[in-house]
Amino acid sequence: MVEKKIQCPNCNQIVISTGNPGDVVSIVCPSCGTKGKFTFKKPDFSEEAAVEVSNLRKVYDDLVAVNDISFSVKKGEVFAFLGPNGAGKTTTVEMIESIRKKTAGEIKILGIDIENSFDLVKEKIGILPQEFHSFEKLTVRETLDYFSQLYKKRADIDGIIDAMDLKVEENKLYKDLSGGLKQRVGVAISLVNDPEIVFLDEPSTGLDPKARREVWEVIEGLRNKGKTIFLTTHYMEEAEYLADHIAIIHKGKIIAEGSLEELIKKYGDESVLRIKNCKTKNTSDILKDYGFNVEREGNGDLSVKINYKERVLEILSILKNECIEYSTIDIRRSNLEEIFLKLTGARLSGSVS
Amino acid sequence: MNLKFIKTDLILGIRQWLRSPGTVFWTILFPVLLILIFGAIFSSGTDVEFDLIVQDLDDSSTSNEFVGIIDNISGINVINLKADKDVTKYMHDEKKKVALVIPEGFESIIYEYMQSQHNPNSTFDMDNLPFNLKIIVDPTDQTQPSILRSIINSVIQQFNINITGGQNLFGLTEEKSVGEDFEYIDFFVPGMIGFTIMTSMIYGSIERNTKYRKNGILRKLLTMPITRSEWILSKMLFMLFLSFISTFVIIIVGILAWGLNIHFSIFFFILVISTSFMFSGLGMIIGRFVKEEETADMAGGAITFPMMFLSGTFFPLDQMPVFLQNIAQGLPLFYVNEGFRNAMIYSDFSQTVYYTSFVIAFTLVFFIIGVFVTKWKED
Repeated sequence: MVEKKIQCPNCNQIVISTGNPGDVVSIVCPSCGTKGKFTFKKPDFSEEAAVEVSNLRKVYDDLVAVNDISFSVKKGEVFAFLGPNGAGKTTTVEMIESIRKKTAGEIKILGIDIENSFDLVKEKIGILPQEFHSFEKLTVRETLDYFSQLYKKRADIDGIIDAMDLKVEENKLYKDLSGGLKQRVGVAISLVNDPEIVFLDEPSTGLDPKARREVWEVIEGLRNKGKTIFLTTHYMEEAEYLADHIAIIHKGKIIAEGSLEELIKKYGDESVLRIKNCKTKNTSDILKDYGFNVEREGNGDLSVKINYKERVLEILSILKNECIEYSTIDIRRSNLEEIFLKLTGARLSGSVS
Repeated sequence: MNLKFIKTDLILGIRQWLRSPGTVFWTILFPVLLILIFGAIFSSGTDVEFDLIVQDLDDSSTSNEFVGIIDNISGINVINLKADKDVTKYMHDEKKKVALVIPEGFESIIYEYMQSQHNPNSTFDMDNLPFNLKIIVDPTDQTQPSILRSIINSVIQQFNINITGGQNLFGLTEEKSVGEDFEYIDFFVPGMIGFTIMTSMIYGSIERNTKYRKNGILRKLLTMPITRSEWILSKMLFMLFLSFISTFVIIIVGILAWGLNIHFSIFFFILVISTSFMFSGLGMIIGRFVKEEETADMAGGAITFPMMFLSGTFFPLDQMPVFLQNIAQGLPLFYVNEGFRNAMIYSDFSQTVYYTSFVIAFTLVFFIIGVFVTKWKED
């Protein structure tokens, strides 16, 4: 989701609108009532795939950990591989990273089949393994120097330290860093070769909300620099906040795939805008005249079903222009947790039974 | 004090311990190994017999009687050496620790003394007494020489009492089998060097393999351009650096503090390098099969400690029962210790080559297997 400030061409009023890349939203200026449309620009994604996975399978004795999955990650996008613990995320990403042997299937990175040519892509990828813990008695700078020296192509370490906001900690020993900083250093290590694709395996697991948010900001920064990010996570907020493309994995199978909006549209319920303590009697009729589906709840509150979030602004404009009195409004829409629950009958936050 | 808390925490500890089969295994196996080894060394008194080489240059009935008294003492096995043999060479070749040389004239001195007691005009010079027997000891061993010295002295004293009624007709002088300049520390140091290299290499390798695997560093390296061979080689060079540092520290401190007397040769360096690679390989093998960090430490201990005691690191092997001596022949540290001793102390070229070749053979086997089993890739 992208937030955009739009200036009304008529009265210069700033209107805030949110949408996904490619969305076209209708906007009504709450000040002068001017109506217009705004298109959220799509990022410049190359259609060329950064990662292509075909019929990938991993079997341990009787356990099918990854069951014939296929997907692709486009260059320049943040791809979130979302699923509960034990769903097969790390097994999948470790097969892509050539850490783990696959049972069957084909994996291509930047168009190269890694079966026998993984060495060709090593310089082009950066990896933060799950539960990664670096050398305790090296400083942050020494750590980055060490890892960068193992590549032919080296990024500017000072630039990484600045970008990761590690300047203050650059001379601190790794063991003395907080959990959040250690993860930030882990991400920084994955950038020492200026990779085209960055694989981050559960980068915010175990972090407190503040540290997690810091890691998200780092990942956002990488996206803005045009890096392809392959992110595995079991936090639906992380996928919602960061991902351009989400694949939901459950018991080794991909059960849903697409952008957040696509997933919500396909699997989620309609969003509901609730107007509380509405004191204007004909509000329901007014909104119906504008084409909204309005229902009055038992306590007198009005529920308005909205298919497109841009209609929220339209409703707000109507409420203002029609001088409708109310106390508060809230909007509720489906999220990935609900989609996962709907698709599997299990909660995303829990582990697979 | 809340006993419920204590009980709860105690159960937690036991439960965690039981759920780590490796730890349970080593916790039980390690003391079992120790009790078996030390029990075999120290409790089987009847198995232990000290060899005493006797070269009777007098070869008289009296000297034979004297030797017979010693031979009849329980726990002493007399090995008679012909008069034309070199005693110290025989000791070295056969790894014997103590020899007794009865000089020519042993019997005649008794007759001369007896005659002097009945003939007031005898020219027998009492000032030349005592007539000394010679004990030759290997200073690598602290135990056998002292025990046998004490026994031989007792026999001599008894002999003196029987013949002279208390006058010291016979005495005992002592020589070392490897020359006068050597002390026990000279023989202790090679074992210490071997043991130090062994422990630092095995523990270093185990720590690398278990800790780096647990922390995801091996997974990270697998995705980087550095190859497994390059990484192992770099680690080996580092371990070699540590080996030379600790070896030279031991030698320098030994020289400064104890006047250590050793020889350097190319074999010394070959042995340090080869031993380092060999025990690193062994550590890699252990580290591959022992996944948990704490279990890996115990596994390292279970390998190094018995090997230390069974390989003649700090005390000679011939004090041990024969079956343990046979086991020692199969342990790499035994060849390392003997190799270092022959290279640094005895300067025995043929023995040095012999033991060094075994060390190199062990190195090839352990290091190749170690490299082969050190996996970065997960199944």
